[in-house]
Amino acid sequence: MAKKTTKAKERRVGKRPAPVPAKAAVKMRREKPVSRVDDPQPGGDAARGKYVYCVIQSADPLKFGAAGIGDNGMEIHTVHYRDLAAVVSDVPLGVLDSTRENVLAHERVNEIVMRDHTVIPMSFGTIFKTRDDIVQLLRSAYDAFGDVLSKMRDKMEFGLKVLWDRDSIVKDIEDEDEGIHRLKNEIALQKGSTYFARMQYGRAIDAALQSRSERYGTEILDRLRDVAVASRINKPIGDKMIMNAAFLVSRDQEAAFDTRVKSIAAEHDKLTFKYTGPWPPYNFVNIRLKLERV
Amino acid sequence: MAVERAAGGSSLIDVLDRVLDKGIVIDAWVRVSLVGIDLITVEARVVVASIDTYLKYSEAVGQSVPVARPAVESRPYDELAAENQALRAELSSGGARQPVARRRRAGV
Repeated sequence: MAKKTTKAKERRVGKRPAPVPAKAAVKMRREKPVSRVDDPQPGGDAARGKYVYCVIQSADPLKFGAAGIGDNGMEIHTVHYRDLAAVVSDVPLGVLDSTRENVLAHERVNEIVMRDHTVIPMSFGTIFKTRDDIVQLLRSAYDAFGDVLSKMRDKMEFGLKVLWDRDSIVKDIEDEDEGIHRLKNEIALQKGSTYFARMQYGRAIDAALQSRSERYGTEILDRLRDVAVASRINKPIGDKMIMNAAFLVSRDQEAAFDTRVKSIAAEHDKLTFKYTGPWPPYNFVNIRLKLERV
Repeated sequence: MAVERAAGGSSLIDVLDRVLDKGIVIDAWVRVSLVGIDLITVEARVVVASIDTYLKYSEAVGQSVPVARPAVESRPYDELAAENQALRAELSSGGARQPVARRRRAGV
């Protein structure tokens, strides 16, 4: 944690009898004073907030060790409303930086919880001031969370990125596509300006690459269809990637999905498969929340 | 050629790809003030602005909806996607194949 505005803290500590542990320094945002931090919170510690990792179904209090955000030894526990629970740990109040450490901690906790529970992952960086605020969140979105939890029950996400060696594919295209082959020869032999021919060649190669990558993508999707519940296609990153997909897989089909991915990969020596998971179903849940003044 | 399997949390890029704007997302302006506002005493309540689950299997590459689309009603978008698909079909049957630029709506 970077800066500590100890003055503000001392003032608050002075007002309130509850001692604040030295570790719990507040990282205040400078542009706007956090005006309500001074409000008395019955039983709460004003210097701490609760970081929310995910929402699960559980009526009983649970603990998940201490490997949470901030690595501050705070226990990961649950906050409940009826049969819903938010998985949380205490962190200093303030805006949380998306450092490598913090982001990985968020994911790590989700993975630990996911071993025994169906989770709706929270996006990174959400801190609530008090336990009551979280109860309020669970109560307000109770139906939405319940509905999504039942849809995601016993399902996990897997990521699949497929990459190719673009240059070697271009070579293949030049060998296999007669028109492109001819164009290439023309450019090599031509004495004058090759501008137009090169333009044509570039366009033809692009189109051929596009259709080839779509063909691969469609084939891979088709072959995974019966071992996955759902899939989502994200935008590929960079020109080596031809597919960036996420699959929602039932727990009892995980082995079948795994085997299928490996057998598809074995049949395509020109493609590299990067396969990750299990993940919480990030790509299959999108719940947007906002505040409404009454 | 190669298949590499890795646990979820082992690649930072894959993690960032997911955790920043997917799952349960609280509106940006709320998020900024979240730590300073007591949701109850300020007499504000949390409401669900939109809820989407994606339980369909994609039919083909390039047809699915980008994940970070704005929270608009989903029906007009689906219609648009259907129209898009029809146009594509027309294009490819017409012979002249043109690379179709993937449309991506800016996320919020």
